[in-house]
Amino acid sequence: MRQLRSTLLLTICCLLLVSCADVRAWERGYLAREEMAWDPDALESSLNDHIFFSKEASSGGNSAAGGGCGCN
Amino acid sequence: MNIKQKSQTLALLVLSAVSSSAWAVEEGDAAPVFDLPSIYADQPAISTASLEGKTIFVDFWASWCAPCLTSLPLYNDMYHKYKDQGLEIVAINVDNPIEDGLDFLLDTPLDFLIPADPDGEAAELFEVIGMPTSYLIEPDGSVKLVHMGFRSGDIEIIEEAIQDSLGGN
Repeated sequence: MRQLRSTLLLTICCLLLVSCADVRAWERGYLAREEMAWDPDALESSLNDHIFFSKEASSGGNSAAGGGCGCN
Repeated sequence: MNIKQKSQTLALLVLSAVSSSAWAVEEGDAAPVFDLPSIYADQPAISTASLEGKTIFVDFWASWCAPCLTSLPLYNDMYHKYKDQGLEIVAINVDNPIEDGLDFLLDTPLDFLIPADPDGEAAELFEVIGMPTSYLIEPDGSVKLVHMGFRSGDIEIIEEAIQDSLGGN
């Protein structure tokens, strides 16, 4: 059973390796593009956060203070 | 096959996957031959064959690479200083689309040869593993210097190698 588990783990590791993309040095410009950023538009993202915590009455997760009144 | 053997096989697989840089062009190797169109539509193609017998400084650059943009005006000065002694500078632009490179050249005109390599054909031949990377190629076609990155003081190292190569002509 232990050997089967190890073989399965090794197989999964090998399969994961297949999904690794090799970004060559001259292709790194793609990573520098705006659309590749985690947060392409800081202003829009901050507005969305504000709407989210106001509507969901939740705050803190996005380092914003407030009780859900939407007034801050 | 026991667990130890399997682990070793896996380690070998990982090593072979990450060791592609082992085939990069190194000092003393014969420089790869390339033939690329100029970044400027109205200028002829640039090939190593047309530069035979010259000391060639090949530099791979892109508009998104900050150290590349720092180095290029310095290479332009160096080109004017040594072109009469037989130095040719070929700054291969790897921007895709090439308009990104052309935008930079609008603000910073450069007088040496600038081929466009948007698909990375020449970069693949040289096995470039970092940007910028430059290669000083002797008149006999061998690589004298491989230089990766560009920091303060690097221009002196490159100029010294160029002087050395031109002195041997």
